[in-house]
Amino acid sequence: MAKEVDGVFVVAHELKSPLALTRQLALSIEPEDIDSVKFAKEKIISTTERAMRQVNDLTKVARLEDGLFTLEPVSVRGVCDDVARELRYLYRENHKSLREKYTNRSKLATANREMLYSVIYNFCSNSLRYSDEETRSELSVRDRGDKIEVSVRDFGPALPVNIWKELKHGWILEPTSIAMRPGSSGLGLYIASKFARFMNGEVSAIRHRDGTSFILRLPISKQASLF
Amino acid sequence: MKKLPLVYVIEDDSDMCSLYEKYLKGMARVKVYHNAISAISAIDREKPRMILLDILLDGPDGFTFLNEIVSYKETARIPIALITSLFVGSAQDFEDYGVVEILNKELMTPAEIRDVVSFWTGPDVKF
Repeated sequence: MAKEVDGVFVVAHELKSPLALTRQLALSIEPEDIDSVKFAKEKIISTTERAMRQVNDLTKVARLEDGLFTLEPVSVRGVCDDVARELRYLYRENHKSLREKYTNRSKLATANREMLYSVIYNFCSNSLRYSDEETRSELSVRDRGDKIEVSVRDFGPALPVNIWKELKHGWILEPTSIAMRPGSSGLGLYIASKFARFMNGEVSAIRHRDGTSFILRLPISKQASLF
Repeated sequence: MKKLPLVYVIEDDSDMCSLYEKYLKGMARVKVYHNAISAISAIDREKPRMILLDILLDGPDGFTFLNEIVSYKETARIPIALITSLFVGSAQDFEDYGVVEILNKELMTPAEIRDVVSFWTGPDVKF
């Protein structure tokens, strides 16, 4: 029960941030200043979209056992391209960039497309937030035996040791308490690890002296690619 | 022309920082730091008249920053306003750490932020 309450608290806190920012953006609007209206409008849209994405992911996590989601052959590169396309302007706006590097020969992984999208989106958003300005994060796809590996390498503060240790199991059991990681509850990583497990994959992380790599490994689909 | 007072904003959300800069335009020189370590490193170069401090930061949190700041004679008396959506108590609870105000991130208005900065960087406050 205590863990459940802690989880609810973490989720509530995580969702408070975009709400507080949205309110401030609305308060900052000066109707006669067209630039302030445009700035606030764009930020409110992107902030609420990110919050809605998180709520949607949480809803999916709660319904994973209901048999609503299926696994099928999914083009990992295609999903990576879609995520990169969606986030590119945000990287640019924050004076950062994202490089895609695909060396995989296998085309398809057995996955759920929406969940795969969420996991990669989460990794990239994380790099967007934590990497230093003027750095280029790297989104890579490569083969690892019978697995296909997607990784996002960022250049900024390394992942805190406690979260890294937890990820060594291949997943996070519950959102970390806020005190463990100021500024982020690790909710995104928790969701990513839940989705990875559902897809028979795993999430891990590598701490670098100058940043972090987040990794997702998924089984390669045995179905022949038609593409 | 009179030099505007220097105010540090220590907040990890860059959008919130942009808003604080906008709110304080013309009344303070704002320097933004996204984490406590960079703010602590900068403080010896130019001491601010006031600090707006978020509690949940990447790396060391706001409380760690308060402990550090209060431990040096030169920085112990800088007025600090905590801006947070966590319930942390009243400013009186943190009086010993130089906290003069606690602003609720969910409910504060631009005018409140301006009022707090205007008062604590104004001529009536000596430190």
